[in-house]
Amino acid sequence: MMLEVKDDLAQMLLHYRIERFFYGEAALLDDRRYPEWLALFAPDIRYVMPLRTTRTGRDLKHEFGGPKDSAMFDEDHASLDMRVRKFASGTNWAEDPPSRTRHFITNLRVDGETDEGIAVRTAFLVYRNRLERQTEIFAGERQDVLRPHEGGFRIARRRILLDQSTLLTSSLSFFI
Amino acid sequence: MTGENHASARAKARRIFDRDAGTIEASAYVDPEIYQLELDSVFKRCWLFLAHETQIPKAGDFLSTYMGEDPVVVVRQKDGGVKAFLNQCRHRGMRLCRSDAGQARNFSCIYHGWVYDLGGELINVPLEEHAYGKVDHKAWSARAVPRIARYKGLIFGCWDENAPEFTDYLGDAAFYLDILLDRSPAGTEAIGGIHKWVIPCNWKFAAEQFASDSYHAMFAHLSAVAVTIPGGSYAGSDGGDGRQYSSDRGHGTGFMLDAGRRELLSAFVGPEVGRYAMEEGMASAVDRLGHVRGQRMHAQHMTVFPNFSFLPSVNTVRVWHPKGPNEIEVWAWSLVEADASDEVKEAYRVGGLRSFSASGIFEQEDGENWVEIQRVLQSPTARDTLFHVGMGMGKSRKDDPDFPGEVGWIFSEHAARGFYAQWQRLLTEPEAPVIPAAADKEAGHDA
Repeated sequence: MMLEVKDDLAQMLLHYRIERFFYGEAALLDDRRYPEWLALFAPDIRYVMPLRTTRTGRDLKHEFGGPKDSAMFDEDHASLDMRVRKFASGTNWAEDPPSRTRHFITNLRVDGETDEGIAVRTAFLVYRNRLERQTEIFAGERQDVLRPHEGGFRIARRRILLDQSTLLTSSLSFFI
Repeated sequence: MTGENHASARAKARRIFDRDAGTIEASAYVDPEIYQLELDSVFKRCWLFLAHETQIPKAGDFLSTYMGEDPVVVVRQKDGGVKAFLNQCRHRGMRLCRSDAGQARNFSCIYHGWVYDLGGELINVPLEEHAYGKVDHKAWSARAVPRIARYKGLIFGCWDENAPEFTDYLGDAAFYLDILLDRSPAGTEAIGGIHKWVIPCNWKFAAEQFASDSYHAMFAHLSAVAVTIPGGSYAGSDGGDGRQYSSDRGHGTGFMLDAGRRELLSAFVGPEVGRYAMEEGMASAVDRLGHVRGQRMHAQHMTVFPNFSFLPSVNTVRVWHPKGPNEIEVWAWSLVEADASDEVKEAYRVGGLRSFSASGIFEQEDGENWVEIQRVLQSPTARDTLFHVGMGMGKSRKDDPDFPGEVGWIFSEHAARGFYAQWQRLLTEPEAPVIPAAADKEAGHDA
């Protein structure tokens, strides 16, 4: 495969705008401003983190769960809203005391425009530390579809491919 | 039965749990000797869950799983049967199957190429004639799980050749397990995918909670209740009506009766499941299971001893795989009635994962509790502290007209005491039958 790298000012500008958007999103999560974070999603958002299994090379087509399979997350706007309200309930013990997280979003690739919006892939590294010394690091890929909205974007689709099969945490009580 | 001298651990197990006092010493959850004894005396004698039939539908379909800490492969045979064997090559012990699941013609070891068939029988040894002369294939087959039981869509295995039949092992717990499995003439099917996550806690906290603990839900899961139930509460100050059941074989369940069925199920798994459970799902359940099980019982949690737990109607099913005294892997999945509509199946799929999984809004807090308990138990003083398991002492009875077995009010711990009584008996009596000979003693003994 050839990795062609073009000198394209319009693309650079688009990359810059998307990067700024994702950095802002990451800051909202790390600053625990969940209602503002939720406002970045389109009303028809589908937010999915499929289950992942260990498979041989010949069987990699079954590595990720499909649309009829269960998933680590499979959310619409209403269910994301429910999760966000759980944070504000005052009894959200799994995140109270809250985790300290840092979301690193990098390796941005713009795959092009579809009917739904701009297809974008990024790599993430999420550091999570909570209570006295519980520390976890999650890496993976986000596949997002961004829809232009009021000079910025809204996230219309998010698919999160976590680089773990057995999940190495006691609860996914935070967002990626 | 056991390969080790567990005398010291047996003496501890005898002392740790006092059923009549309603106490258990915290070392039960952290002592490495106790844990090693559990692997031999509990996990090698009891029936353990392996798979749902629909997770391995076709010949050659396999699933890698664990029985206690023993890695096993569960395989659909060409004749439709199911076999399971230790996931270990007999030559140098390499893990034979390194996939979570898939389709196989046979299993060949990547180390030296010994090949085993779908039943675990050795069928090919590279250079056999030149290098060995002859290897007795039958004798050098993978170690078979000698007992397999298939019960209403579920597959269980047991390492003990002399174990009782699975239905006898269940005893009257089958009455309560069938609410998960037998609500529809079509039976159940597994929704694809198994959630696997790690909780650094002892396996008994999880198993006991699902057997015996409706009590925690009112407080531990307050935040999930707050965002799913209008008004943010489902029980009155008196706790409401419900029952808890305890088995002399260690199984336990608790459930509510009547009021709140639709509201609670809607909160747990969503309004479409709530509707289904009141309408077409209820009609066939009442027809098959009767009025009490089909219509009155709800919000049920259950553990089949030692580590198979589930919530009927919510339909989340899981095994707490022990990984040392201080850690478990949760393997959780959902099932659904096979004749439910596509809409109902989808509602169960998303409703289940949003409520009961590592990300589930009801399940997140369970991990938080068990993790912190286990951390505290690393302290020597915490370890020899007595815990209170005395709720509802002497208030359960065996003559309830509607519910078989030893039954009391839902807010009780007689199912926890039953769980630990069986646990203690298996740890301290290595040669005794898994099913106790004498009747359970607690019922009514100080009523």
